[in-house]
Amino acid sequence: MSQAEATTRRETAGAGAAVGVLDRWGHQLQRLPLHLVIIIFIAIWIVPTIGLIVNSFRNVQDMGSAGWWSALFPPHGFSLGSYQQVLNTENVTTSIFNSVLITVPATVIQLAIATMGAYAFAWMKFPGKDLFFIVIVGLMVVPIQMTLIPVLQIFKATGLAGTFIAVWLAHSGYGLPFEVFLLRNYLGGLPREIFESAEMDGAGHAVRFLRIAVPMTVPAIASLTIFVFLGVWNDLLVSLTFLGSSPNRPFTVVITQLVTSLGGGWQFLTAAAVLQMSLPLAVFIFLQRYFVRGITSGSVKG
Amino acid sequence: MDQVITAVVAVIGVPLVLLGYIVLGERVIERLPDTIQTWIRPYFWALPAIGFATIFMVYPLLRTVFLSFRNNADTDWVGFNNYVYFFTFPDTLTSLRNSLLWLIFYTFFAVGLGLIIAILLDRVRYEQVAKIAIFLPVPISAVAASIIWKFMFDYQPPGSVQTGTLNAAIGAFGGQPVAWLVNSTTNNPALIFVGIWSITGFCMVIISASLKSISTEVLEAARIDGANEFRIVQLIVTPLLWPTITVVGTTMIINALKTFDIVYVLTSGAYDTDVIATNMFRQLATSHYARAAAVGVVLFLAIVPLLVVNIRRFQQQEETR
Amino acid sequence: MTDVLAKLSSRAIAGGLGVLLLIACSSGGGTNNQTASSTDVTVWTAWGGNELAAFQKVLKPFHDQTGITVHLTTVRDANQLSINVDAGTSLPDIAPGPTVDKVKDWATKGTMKPVETALGSSFNDYITNTYPALTTVPSGGGDNLYIGIVGGKHYELMVKTQVKGLFWYNKKVFTGTAPKTFDELLAINPSQYGADKLFCVGLESGGASGWPASDQIDNIIMRQSGDKVYTDWIQGKVKFSSPQIKLGYQTYLKEVSAQNVYGGPNTVLSTAFQRAGKPLFAAKPGCLFLEQATFIPSFFLEDYPNLKAGVDFDFFGHPSVASQYDGNVNGFYDQFAMYNDTPAARKLMQYMATSPAQQIWADAGGTLTAIKTIKYNDPVFNRAAEVANSAKNLLVTAGDFMPSDMQAAFWKSLLNVTKNPSSLDSELAKLDQVQAAAYKTS
Repeated sequence: MSQAEATTRRETAGAGAAVGVLDRWGHQLQRLPLHLVIIIFIAIWIVPTIGLIVNSFRNVQDMGSAGWWSALFPPHGFSLGSYQQVLNTENVTTSIFNSVLITVPATVIQLAIATMGAYAFAWMKFPGKDLFFIVIVGLMVVPIQMTLIPVLQIFKATGLAGTFIAVWLAHSGYGLPFEVFLLRNYLGGLPREIFESAEMDGAGHAVRFLRIAVPMTVPAIASLTIFVFLGVWNDLLVSLTFLGSSPNRPFTVVITQLVTSLGGGWQFLTAAAVLQMSLPLAVFIFLQRYFVRGITSGSVKG
Repeated sequence: MDQVITAVVAVIGVPLVLLGYIVLGERVIERLPDTIQTWIRPYFWALPAIGFATIFMVYPLLRTVFLSFRNNADTDWVGFNNYVYFFTFPDTLTSLRNSLLWLIFYTFFAVGLGLIIAILLDRVRYEQVAKIAIFLPVPISAVAASIIWKFMFDYQPPGSVQTGTLNAAIGAFGGQPVAWLVNSTTNNPALIFVGIWSITGFCMVIISASLKSISTEVLEAARIDGANEFRIVQLIVTPLLWPTITVVGTTMIINALKTFDIVYVLTSGAYDTDVIATNMFRQLATSHYARAAAVGVVLFLAIVPLLVVNIRRFQQQEETR
Repeated sequence: MTDVLAKLSSRAIAGGLGVLLLIACSSGGGTNNQTASSTDVTVWTAWGGNELAAFQKVLKPFHDQTGITVHLTTVRDANQLSINVDAGTSLPDIAPGPTVDKVKDWATKGTMKPVETALGSSFNDYITNTYPALTTVPSGGGDNLYIGIVGGKHYELMVKTQVKGLFWYNKKVFTGTAPKTFDELLAINPSQYGADKLFCVGLESGGASGWPASDQIDNIIMRQSGDKVYTDWIQGKVKFSSPQIKLGYQTYLKEVSAQNVYGGPNTVLSTAFQRAGKPLFAAKPGCLFLEQATFIPSFFLEDYPNLKAGVDFDFFGHPSVASQYDGNVNGFYDQFAMYNDTPAARKLMQYMATSPAQQIWADAGGTLTAIKTIKYNDPVFNRAAEVANSAKNLLVTAGDFMPSDMQAAFWKSLLNVTKNPSSLDSELAKLDQVQAAAYKTS
């Protein structure tokens, strides 16, 4: 193009850009209410948690005399006193340890069993399969409360009351319906041809399951693992019922019991709560992708 | 140390045992005649899952119903006494009423806010960051969330420095502090709000995923035709999202009815905030097993309609597979 | 990895599983460490926080002197022990005694071993040294299930005690004389001393909210209607709607009325009991008096670490309500029972009954011990000891000895009437209904 044309082009582009900017600003201004509303929502969802975290770094006297926001201005008065107190409180560190000892095996056990069962429901035909599966779908909805008493009685009768094994089994039993449901849907979506060609190559079900199905299901299992893991880590009711006074009780139960304690009070719970939620938050922050995928895959048909 | 060993054994052992079960079992099954193979194999594979589900859910369910008609020591039949107790004793009806409140408001607002936020965030560039913020309370335990809000709801006498965020904000606008958790008009809404706060992010994420799958052409066409945003949301987006909304909604209803942690930690059911789950737990903790069973059955009956809906929906989905 | 595993031979798999099985079995797979009986002793306690720390201090010299290892576990739920007893599973060697309804059963069945056996020759010293109200056998060698006496024998070793119903005040604010009667107390004008209101009350305590109120009303009822009515009421023989109990509630309501209490009922219900005393020491005092037990000073110090007992704060005993019932004092005590008669357990029981052991408890502060001759660093406690010693009857806290659902309903009722005094009659009617069902043995 000629010099003149290029100049014109540039000027038009410049003018156009300027108009564009102004247009965008005007557009943004119109959208101010939108942004405002969103910011208010964000504030509602973030501020309370920040409040707790800030409070956990203050001492009792300060917490009682002014709200957490005053610690944002000098004098800040930050201290680790709450954390020291909580960690020195009897049973706390044990209970954190217990939480880990409860969560990891419970997660592994239920996922292993669920994967096996899901494979059977997905790829095998057998009489009564539909009925069984409907029962499983139905069980997903049943509230745990309905099952607590008899399970408690079973544990007492078998001498498992108050042991880790009891909660591993209980969590597994309660989590299985949803996991079998989810994994069956996922497994069922795997291409039939792969299995068929493997079968023609002489691979038995065990091999097909271990070498084909499981590796291909890893994404779903990974997401599900996070869910199950957090679900057990955060659980209160099951542990309260089966381990309420056992030395094996997890962190969530101990926190709840610290409220009434003659040595505690809500102020010291800030540190405990922050500790308890730091694991799920860390998991979420680092494993976001799996997290979100897990939620959406379960509920949106897929 | 002992327990660590047990845990490690469980973590490594159970999958290995299952592995052995599968591999060895298959080797046995493969030797059987074909016809027997095809029917025995699926049961073999599904046995652990079915077994667990039966022991921990099906059997207890039936037994709880059974127990609700017996006395606490399980030695005698008492007919409907436990149910009569439930419906005539002071305060138990309150728990029913409150669970109903939870069912309605928790579900409506959790799904509603999730929908609104999903739609709003869809239109801004910082959507991802905002989503993370809203989603943050979801992985937090209800116990931690309750403690977070305990400090938000804190109450000091009028005239003193307010240490609770909400009351301080009210004070900044010149109002009197409110005893959120004590006052009967505010305590249930306050607790329900904590529940909503914790779960909205979950609803939002699911609805947002669905939202994004709505074809932009349809929306563009509507915009070109001059429809304003509200109408678009109302007449196009919502109906298209309806299946997702119902799925999320039923999950929320179940959550609402099962609510325990928040009420237990914040008020323990005092001042008329009791819900079915806390009521039941209290009966359980004082060894009133039969009464607790009756409460559990009431809860279950409340859920039965959802059970039916879920199963129906599942069957419909199956037909389209 | 899965493909490697799939190729393993059956024998290899079976072998691997066998090894795992061996490991699992040998590690016991459980949590019960059976301990040797003369070198180890298992103890359960419900204590946490400071109380637990104090107990550990008490136990240290025991370990140093005898070499016996104490395996201490905090078990909050009083029911856990009952569960183990019923299930026949292993019991700790030493643990607190059970709820009153089980004491006789466990004593006669031999679940709990007599303190006479545990202490052997030092038993008589124990009886001489301990506050009489804690160890006196009823005439005729009968039972006092509250202090663990069955058939004239003692089954619970008293180690610590608290006195309740004490009125705490800031010495720099309240400079008047202690009122002799309850009416005098109510007549005091707080503004005369520069305080806002008469009383501070804090009832919030998580799932146990309302228990401080039950202390307050108990102290009123036992001095207003006497110990017979009081103990009958605990046993469900006196209705809540009866005139005496109703009068007790009405009197209690005077303590938490908007007129008399700092911050009004909303504050009373929203304030945790640990923080209830704060306004006593504020620059502008919110109130003159806080009614609480002997353990409350440690909480004053959490908020105001520089306070000195006896200098900054002190207490006076509960004023008289009806003079003929003045000897009734409300308190509680911590006790241990022996469940497994082992040499190590006996030694620990004997040790806990000695003055040196109890002196450590006394020095850790915040409690009275069961031995009446102990001297306390804290002048407040020396005075509390006098109260304990002069008590004719150390009556337990009513709620703690009622069936658990009765207690829960009782505490809730106190919260409800505090919030809404006009609901008194309907609350009492509800309590009657609960009482009728709760005391039935089903």
